[in-house]
Amino acid sequence: MKKTKSTISFILLVTIAFGLMADSCKKKDASAYNPTLETLSVPEGFPAIAYDFNQNPLTKEGFELGRKLFYDGRLSRDGNFPCASCHQQFAAFSSFDHSFSHGFDDGFTTRNAPGLFNLAWQKEFHLDGGINHLDVQQLAPLTAPNEMAETIENIIRKLKADPDYPGMFKSAFGNDEINSQRLLRALSQFMVSVVSSQSKYDLYKKGEASFTPYEERGYTLFKAKCASCHTEPLFTDLSYRNIGLPGIPNLLDAGRMRITNDPADSMKFKVPSLRNVVLSQPYMHDGRFASIEACLQHYTSGVVNGPTVDPLVRNRIALNRSEIVDIVAFLRTLTDTVMTKNPRFADPESKPIFSPDPEQHD
Amino acid sequence: MLSFSFIKKETLRADIATVSIHLTHTFGAEALSFEKKFTNSAGEEFTLSKFKYYLTNFKLIGNSSKAASVESYFLVDEEQPDSKKLIVSFEPGTYTGLRFLLGVDSIRNVSGAQTGALDPLHGMFWTWNTGYIMAKIEGHSPVSRMPGNFFEYHIGGFRGETNTLKQIDLKFPQALTLQKNRQLKIQVQADLAKWFSGPVDLSIAAKPSITSPGTNAKRIADNYADMFTLMDAKTNEP
Repeated sequence: MKKTKSTISFILLVTIAFGLMADSCKKKDASAYNPTLETLSVPEGFPAIAYDFNQNPLTKEGFELGRKLFYDGRLSRDGNFPCASCHQQFAAFSSFDHSFSHGFDDGFTTRNAPGLFNLAWQKEFHLDGGINHLDVQQLAPLTAPNEMAETIENIIRKLKADPDYPGMFKSAFGNDEINSQRLLRALSQFMVSVVSSQSKYDLYKKGEASFTPYEERGYTLFKAKCASCHTEPLFTDLSYRNIGLPGIPNLLDAGRMRITNDPADSMKFKVPSLRNVVLSQPYMHDGRFASIEACLQHYTSGVVNGPTVDPLVRNRIALNRSEIVDIVAFLRTLTDTVMTKNPRFADPESKPIFSPDPEQHD
Repeated sequence: MLSFSFIKKETLRADIATVSIHLTHTFGAEALSFEKKFTNSAGEEFTLSKFKYYLTNFKLIGNSSKAASVESYFLVDEEQPDSKKLIVSFEPGTYTGLRFLLGVDSIRNVSGAQTGALDPLHGMFWTWNTGYIMAKIEGHSPVSRMPGNFFEYHIGGFRGETNTLKQIDLKFPQALTLQKNRQLKIQVQADLAKWFSGPVDLSIAAKPSITSPGTNAKRIADNYADMFTLMDAKTNEP
């Protein structure tokens, strides 16, 4: 009888002990993983978001991790090329004043770096649309020998050895495991959060700003002559088109055909957004034009027709000099300095340059 | 806990039976080895340095029309002996054959970053034109015009007419009953010689490198679709 009783007490004790252990584990987990869910709001007039947040829920912690990674040179082989080296915030996350961007070992890219904003509304990436999901786009610059030139294994190894990253991965994803999927998803969380929707044009559309006569005339011209491809509100219809740029020596780029193998896609490139266009010079897929005026002149007098040149530009676009001035004035209203100066999108390690510092005035 | 296992996690149930698939690689009748020289149907001598492929979406075909299937993704690598033994769990039942895909289904090609066998760090993922390399071989041949006489065939593409995904059906000699807690052991031979001969023969001299989706990749996939042979299938204690 006594023996039975002690056996029962033992079983009870063990049960309680296990129960406590399980309970404490649960509590520990709950306190460790409590990310702050965030929602990416859709600006008025924008279409539905294309990025699938069900697979990769947007959280403050995931965003902050992605932001740190975006600015971290250790994602590149020699430490010199963070994502931000070619995607600069002040240039709307494009490469300012560079037709091609610098990469590892004095390498150069072969296409002009696009501005990274409003990516949440895109389903295909790169100027040839070869990438079908934002999460895997990042693998291209990370591993390309002329860009960041690093292996995913090495990146993961460097991040694991860092004092901060394991904790940040734990806050973002529930434990401190660092794998390629988490790395890529964190970067995506940062990139999809960069939204450009607060330009003068956007305020004008909401009735909160007014256009000058130049801008007004430019907008009217734009809607008549440019908007079939550069469609509002993203200022791109996300299609691929050949705009009749003449070939240049030493750069054979078949564009979209490289992906589809379809001769009908030869020399077609994705229509770029014109938001923040004055910040992203030089222009075209190869950065051949230094100014917006040069781009517009291409449409008025430079188009070279070939079999795949778009019907909308085959006959060139008639614009006189004053109309070009007006259109450029309108395009300048698409600059979104709220985005380009948003400290939330800046290097987390940098100090704001222009922030008031009372100590300095003493 | 996340597992790095090449086998996708599934709910453990008491009523499952397992199928173990044992792969043997050959060139014709000869056992495959990276040390040996082989001669293809075009009479070209070569050595191999890499042989990797995806086997996914396993199903057992039963007498009833319903197939027992399980989410399963495996990367088989000649250099990793462990990768040539695949374990898949199924419902008990009577089955007449095994069906699987040689390659990665289109859904996983368009769903962003994956883990496990489909982690892009396994070198079976194209970063510039999204998609998995379904199968690859690399090696050297004196007839190759590439630097160092190298040749490489990275076969992929999941869209339209140049889709390289192949469904493989291996019929059992007779219907087999798979009971719970039992294991069905299947021996499968993969003959690499098939890459070079089929509807359109492959010549290393003519085409030493194929590394993008398209007609050439599709031709090789049409050839290698024929590389698997069921050698034996019997039920064992697990």
